[in-house]
Amino acid sequence: MTTTPRDNPTRLRVAIVDDEPSVRSSLERLCSVMGMDATAYESGRKFLEALDNGAAPACLLLDAHMPELSGLDVLRMLASRGGGPATIVITADDGPEIYARVIAAGAVECLQKPITAEDLVAAIERAMACS
Amino acid sequence: MRIKVSPNNNLRDLPLGLGLAAFVPVCLLGNLLGALVRFPEIGSAVLYPPYAILVAVLVASPRRDWPWYFAASVLTHALVGLSRWPLTWLLLADVANAARALVAALLLIRLFRGVPALDDMRSFALFGLAGVVIAPAVGATIGAANAIVHDMPASYGQMWVGWFVSNALTGLTMLPGFLVAVGNWRFVVRRRWSRARMLEALILVGATVVISALAFLPHFDGGRTIGVLFYAPGVPVLWLALRFGAGGASVGMSIVTILGILGAGRGSGPFHYLPPDENLLTLQFFLALTAIPLLCIAAVDSARTRAVQLYRSVLSSLEDQVAILDARGRVFVVNESWQRFASSGHICPLEGLQVGDDALVACQQVLRASEPDFERKQFTRRLHAGLTAVLSGEEKRIDLEYENPMNGERAWFTLRVEPRRHSDGGAVMTRANVTDRRRTQLELDNQRQALAHLARVGMLGQLSGALAHELRQPLTSILANAEAARQMLERNPRDMRPVSAALNDIMSQNRRAANVIDGLRAMLKRGETRVQSLDPSVLVHEVLEIAHGELVSRGVGATAVVSPDVPPLLADRVQLQQVLLNLILNACEAMDASPRSVRRLQVAAAPTPSGDVCLSVSDVGPGIPDALNGRLFEPFVTNKPDGLGLGLSIARTIVAAHGGRIWAENNPGPGATVHCVFASASTSGPAREPLAAAVLA
Repeated sequence: MTTTPRDNPTRLRVAIVDDEPSVRSSLERLCSVMGMDATAYESGRKFLEALDNGAAPACLLLDAHMPELSGLDVLRMLASRGGGPATIVITADDGPEIYARVIAAGAVECLQKPITAEDLVAAIERAMACS
Repeated sequence: MRIKVSPNNNLRDLPLGLGLAAFVPVCLLGNLLGALVRFPEIGSAVLYPPYAILVAVLVASPRRDWPWYFAASVLTHALVGLSRWPLTWLLLADVANAARALVAALLLIRLFRGVPALDDMRSFALFGLAGVVIAPAVGATIGAANAIVHDMPASYGQMWVGWFVSNALTGLTMLPGFLVAVGNWRFVVRRRWSRARMLEALILVGATVVISALAFLPHFDGGRTIGVLFYAPGVPVLWLALRFGAGGASVGMSIVTILGILGAGRGSGPFHYLPPDENLLTLQFFLALTAIPLLCIAAVDSARTRAVQLYRSVLSSLEDQVAILDARGRVFVVNESWQRFASSGHICPLEGLQVGDDALVACQQVLRASEPDFERKQFTRRLHAGLTAVLSGEEKRIDLEYENPMNGERAWFTLRVEPRRHSDGGAVMTRANVTDRRRTQLELDNQRQALAHLARVGMLGQLSGALAHELRQPLTSILANAEAARQMLERNPRDMRPVSAALNDIMSQNRRAANVIDGLRAMLKRGETRVQSLDPSVLVHEVLEIAHGELVSRGVGATAVVSPDVPPLLADRVQLQQVLLNLILNACEAMDASPRSVRRLQVAAAPTPSGDVCLSVSDVGPGIPDALNGRLFEPFVTNKPDGLGLGLSIARTIVAAHGGRIWAENNPGPGATVHCVFASASTSGPAREPLAAAVLA
């Protein structure tokens, strides 16, 4: 049986990386209210620093387009470090290219904004199942 | 510029037979008149009309006919003189006469290319030199040889003076009249003169004859003269000079001369107390000195009349409405077009102004009036200031343009005020209907606007992905917050605090999405141009917001550098956004080949040293290639494989329509910068706003 965030007695640690403050705070709020232990980061660099400092999220919600380090850059850097949390890329773009590229770079899921709670939970469950 | 109005009515198309038929009797009469009064001692004529007749005919006829006129002249001379003079005397005199006439005719033709009009001082002076000085001197030099050849009592010198003065007097008094006659014979034949003018001419000629006869012919005993009478003929002759020009003066002076000489021949006249030869010579000088100022007056007055007629005909032929003001602003001349124009409650307070009205007072009345017409008052204020400045010499010219309905349709006019080029000062106002030009301009502006709109729509198409991205961000936040709020309520309906925070975020993100949609709508809409005061800082941030998605997806870091003291500018918001957006997209594309880590773009707004507003967009790309340098803003110039090359050209059109300028330059470091400079709202002022609005409308 797979672990779901909702019925897991130990709270699932989720990291959210998005340069857009409103998206970052709303996803953090949604994850928290659904019983997850959510931490938001404003850039890929901040998240990688947090990993270096001992943070160990089980799941990562990663924005595709960010200045400085893009979602793809973060995925590649995680891969070069020997892997990271199960990653769900969230993008405001349309089109299948981004989907193919992030999956190829190691992401488990790719969701297009805006995201319903149901889709998010389902994606996290799938991601956790895969990891 | 000197405008010569040539009469061009001469004898060139008069048949020779007809010409000779008129020439012979007139010349015969002239010879008889010449023979009537002679210097008793030196024997030469006091006045020799055939000189004037022959010169006039030669000047006006084709050269192939000249021998015939010379022959006729010799014949008439022989008919009158053969009984008195030996043949050799006559022949030498004929040679002198022919040489004199030939010199006069050739000089006049050379100087005037035909019959001289004698209607200004220059032509009168040249005529005098040729017909009164040079030709008589040539004739006298040859003719006086008769004194030696025929061993006459008078010396060569006396004879020369006699010949010269009589022909100079003839040239002065009679030649202008004959020249005018041959120059205008068709004019006279066709009777273009009104009956009143004919009557006036006849009365004046009659009066001259009567007064001259009274002055010169009566013989008083005891050497008494009534001196004042000798000036009396001057009155009708002056009148003739002023009303009928050089021809009139010449006819009058000819009458005075003939009667004066006839009187002197009878031993009367002003100088009858002198010996006969001296009496005649003094009279000749007296007549010549009287003729010169009268002919000068005729010439000056003709020139003045011609100038007045010319300016009147030019003014009346103008479609534009012209009014001329004196130094105080009072109208003293208006052209017919101005008179025709009826005032109908127009914006311009000077319309309907007539001669005697005061333009400044007309403006002041509008300014003082309690009428609420703001536009009319505004225009009048500018007109009054401009008019005062031109009248005082502070301004060289003012041009005002205004719209005014005419016959129920839109119509545009320009009012130009320029200083009157006159020592007394004053101004010339010209009002022109420029509706056609304006309509064409409006049509052109309309097309430009349509093109700019198309470019804008195209640009938004290019940005569609980025714009969708921009909308999805707030939508993501809204949806996530709404889901969170719902779950919070499901779990603990009483605790509203966290729900409230989520709802606040929903509202703020909703506003953000609405702003994106509003911005898009404004860019997509082809609305009317609205010139308004814009804060450059707001403008820069709005544009960066629209471009945000594109900047992020291209990995370009953008910064806004807005100087705190940058003044507001007057412009259409959407059009300026379009310009900046175009520059930003160009900058992004220019950096496509640069590594993502270095892609940087800066949008700056700063005041210029002269107080204008400079907006600039810089990138760190490869810079402007040499091949495009200087041609960047021309249409269809591009280095993009799929670009039309219209973006920058349209940007330039928009900037120019705002009265600004745009240019690009390579940075000292990597990349290029495009600058746009606009007048600040304070310097462009209210006077410029309607213009800009009109250009863009």
